[in-house]
Amino acid sequence: MEGLSAFVLAIILVGLGLWTLIERRNVIWKLLGLNVASGGAILFLVAVAYRPQARPALLGLGPGPTADPLPQALVLTAIVIHFATLALALAYVIFLTEHRHTQDIHKLEREEE
Amino acid sequence: MNTALAGVVAYLALGVLGFLFRPRWLSSALAILAGAVSLALWAPGFSEMTLGPSSWGIAVVGDELARGFWALALFLHVAVAWHERARLGAFQPLLTLLTGTALAAVISIDLFNLYVAMELAALLSFLLISYEAKTKAVWATLQYLLLAAVGMILYLLGVGLVYGKLGTLSLSQIRALAPGLSDPTVAIGVGLLVAGASVKSGLFLFGLWLPPAHGYAPTGVSAVLSGLVVKLGVVALARLAVAFPLGDVLLALGVVTGFGGIIYALWERDLKVFLAFSTVSQLGYILIGFGIGGGAAQGAILYAVAHGLFKALLFLAAGQAIEEASERHIAKLKGKLAWPSALGLAVGTWAIVGLPPLAGFAGKETLSLAVPAPVGWILTALSFGTAAAFAKLLPLFWPGQGRGKIGGLALLACGVIGLGLLGVVSLPGLVSLTAWGKALLVAAMGYLFYFVFRRFQPALPRPSLDRAITTALVSSLGLIAGFLFTR
Repeated sequence: MEGLSAFVLAIILVGLGLWTLIERRNVIWKLLGLNVASGGAILFLVAVAYRPQARPALLGLGPGPTADPLPQALVLTAIVIHFATLALALAYVIFLTEHRHTQDIHKLEREEE
Repeated sequence: MNTALAGVVAYLALGVLGFLFRPRWLSSALAILAGAVSLALWAPGFSEMTLGPSSWGIAVVGDELARGFWALALFLHVAVAWHERARLGAFQPLLTLLTGTALAAVISIDLFNLYVAMELAALLSFLLISYEAKTKAVWATLQYLLLAAVGMILYLLGVGLVYGKLGTLSLSQIRALAPGLSDPTVAIGVGLLVAGASVKSGLFLFGLWLPPAHGYAPTGVSAVLSGLVVKLGVVALARLAVAFPLGDVLLALGVVTGFGGIIYALWERDLKVFLAFSTVSQLGYILIGFGIGGGAAQGAILYAVAHGLFKALLFLAAGQAIEEASERHIAKLKGKLAWPSALGLAVGTWAIVGLPPLAGFAGKETLSLAVPAPVGWILTALSFGTAAAFAKLLPLFWPGQGRGKIGGLALLACGVIGLGLLGVVSLPGLVSLTAWGKALLVAAMGYLFYFVFRRFQPALPRPSLDRAITTALVSSLGLIAGFLFTR
């Protein structure tokens, strides 16, 4: 059941994050939503690695079943990519705040037309 | 190590070295050389091979698709690097890295490498679109970034579901398992994968970030993005279709994308945004080809390469025209172009409306010879729409004053003409009176349509950022629901 609850939590996080991403007008809030949603997707991959009665996939922890190491390796890559994307997005927000003096997407869109 | 992978590694390493050492052109030139040597060595093709354990190693394949896109990527890199040779700073190394990532993406044939390559290409695209630090371009990039991130969350969830159920990431192993889509977990997972790749490649309703991002990017960047980078998502979709029965889905996506893009292109008045909408519609062509498969897939590859060449030519010429005239509006650009950009637009338009004997004709005709009749009519309708949309560029072909810059335009124009002539001579069925007559008739009808209806200007809905994200998510849910209910 623990594996299933992790899946449910991951789906809830993705849903909440995407909802924030759509609903909020402030770009910073949108990025927070995006970050929560990415966290959910990453947790989802971790949950895929779950096996009953398993221990972490580390050497030297003794015999017995281990969690699937592959999704965890993928997760590392995904975390790095999400970190880079978020950092770049925040740099863009700083630039837009300096040049347009707003973080509200409606204002950013309107003046652009 | 595999020759193609060695080429990719050399490309990426030289891209990184380009940040550190001067002169900057040297690393780009060496990278292109390394890529060309690698392509020449593996050009006969290699069957799939895996580095590392077979269920999760890096799987690469050197098939026709990879070969065509490698040639396109290297050619575009040469043309754009030459055209933008005056740019200092990080531009050239970033361009080298982006091309290298594209080379990696098109030989990858496992789910996670495709993910990494698409993400890396997206990150490098963000940096290049916002390179000139203009507010419009930065805002367009941020929109692109948010939508692309949503797409990649969907894709990651799909990877998790498919791997959790099937236990492998290799697409050919998945094909050997022949899972079909009857299992609901697999159906949802594949739906998520297709939706993610569709957002990434800017398909209509999924990726509405594409027109502003390509429209406001610097000249050379728009050329590489429209010519090469958006097609990486389409390549990912074509690779997914190897493992799962996706033919009808790609066909449907292609039809929607083709007509959606054309409708917006018909009434768009900003020159570069217009070209970006046209890119959306041409992706539809390529998807329809991959959806039918077999000979049509070969036609789709040829058309993807041809489109890469002439769309890059169009974007370089358009960007240069906009810089020369300080004006983006198509009607106001009349008579303000120097002769190289006017001629570039003319050759590019000639190719994209599919008039013989240029590259667009070879691609479109090969594609339509390989598809069944009803699909052929759809392709003809799309060609008609393309001709009607491009009719408004006609007044721009007469050059005004000024000497203008030739740069990469000449190279791309030679590529478009050369590939066209080569295709017409070497491919079967292209030297026929009916084919040439049909191409001319369709183009003429399109031009006629434009001149009859040019006063008609409907107000098409312009999606805001929130709407674009919502539309992408709703389309993705629809796609997944479709997978679930038709399995």
